[in-house]
Amino acid sequence: MRVLIRTEVLKLRTIRGPWLVLAVGPLLVIAGISGLVVSGANLHDPQTQAKALAHVGLTAIFALAFGILAVAGEYRHKTITDTYLSTPERGRVIGAKLVVYAAFCIPAALVSTSVGLGVAAAWWSAKGVPFAWGDTAMWTTIGGGVAWNAAFAAIGVGLGALIRNLTAAIAAALAWIALVEGIVAQLIGNLARWLPFYAGQSLGAGGKAMLPEPLLPRWGAALVLAAYAAAFAASAITTSIRRDVS
Amino acid sequence: MNGGITVAGLTKRYGPVTAVDGLTFTVEPGQVTGFLGPNGAGKTTTLRMLLGLVAPTAGSALIGGQRYAELAEPRQVVGAVLEATGFHPDRTGRDHLRVIACSAGIQRSRVDQVLDRVGLTDAADRRVRGYSLGMRQRLGLAAALLGDPWVLILDEPGNGLDPAGLAELRDLLRGLAGDGRTVLMSSHVLSEVAQTVDHVIIIAGGTLRHVGKLSELTGTQGETLEAAFLRLTSDLTRPAGAAAPAGN
Repeated sequence: MRVLIRTEVLKLRTIRGPWLVLAVGPLLVIAGISGLVVSGANLHDPQTQAKALAHVGLTAIFALAFGILAVAGEYRHKTITDTYLSTPERGRVIGAKLVVYAAFCIPAALVSTSVGLGVAAAWWSAKGVPFAWGDTAMWTTIGGGVAWNAAFAAIGVGLGALIRNLTAAIAAALAWIALVEGIVAQLIGNLARWLPFYAGQSLGAGGKAMLPEPLLPRWGAALVLAAYAAAFAASAITTSIRRDVS
Repeated sequence: MNGGITVAGLTKRYGPVTAVDGLTFTVEPGQVTGFLGPNGAGKTTTLRMLLGLVAPTAGSALIGGQRYAELAEPRQVVGAVLEATGFHPDRTGRDHLRVIACSAGIQRSRVDQVLDRVGLTDAADRRVRGYSLGMRQRLGLAAALLGDPWVLILDEPGNGLDPAGLAELRDLLRGLAGDGRTVLMSSHVLSEVAQTVDHVIIIAGGTLRHVGKLSELTGTQGETLEAAFLRLTSDLTRPAGAAAPAGN
């Protein structure tokens, strides 16, 4: 497994695409926090800091795309053939990708966090409001956001291995987040909080930041996302073992 | 167990379509064996089944008596060139080989050796995006040689090579076979095959049409390889599976 992990890291180090995807995260955080302030959020409200840093969690969308690249990107460029020629045990390849891609999203989310804290502190100071560095709600929001990133990267790896077509996988993921989950949520009412993007928001967006419904507690959301990641990983591994690579 | 390839009753069906139909043949070490057939004959599917990428519907495809997936160090046993497009365009040629070396536990010094062997040293640090088809083919060949394997499986390795490249490929493959390695190459460029291979396996419509020495095929009746190939693969003059393959 160590060889496989080293190989996946080397693959990532020798191409640019996945890094460009991750680099969008901090930009989204800058824009999101600035947007919150410019649109007139009350900086004296103690919840506003957590709300601002909840944007770290939202970068999980890019972690999802990053994860999709792991397997679907290899199909796109047909490098999957060489990968499986070196390692015929395909389940171990997927397993190594899950570990590496989820792990890479943690430092990426920490970069987004640093950028977010810097931008928020600058805005607060520009508006003459002291920035509470010890605010617990803000730090738990950040912690949940980082975990959300790792979970979505793992889900992305599974999704990419299941769909294999890179464009279709990215389109399906974005459509789910932007549209489908909202429609499904309306149909199933209170059960909506068990859906992956709702669970992600419970984990990383402060629990009440954006949604009116009663959301899962943070630990519950973490378990739900872990279960999604495990389910996607398991089906990705079983289908990858069975399918022909041609 | 020898270092050869043993295919027995190998069959692949995609729904109602039978791509490979009960193929049985062996490939011996120490010679270059050409794997010939018209487009759609099932050559690539057969090679992919040998390499564990496609699961057979029935039958077996063994390398040195083992299935590919059972090989402990597959890259050190089998080198394969499958398609000229299997590279990430952003990756340099050298990095492509480093990734494979890393995944297979092959020393990094081998990367420089195989780059030199295929004449790609000067282009090694350029991104594959800018490679010509011939350069990609050379890079694929370098990847196949990385593990110093004793079996080489090559799907249309001559595609995109210029005449000098083809001559180099021919010398390389003959040299590898001369070392006692097993070399199986598919091709539909018969003039290239005629100068490179010792043995031929001819398939059409997923079924075996001929196995034997090239000299037997072209020698006895004074036929050219092309004439023999067309006779053996044309179903108008010879119904599928009607003849027992010679020399099997």
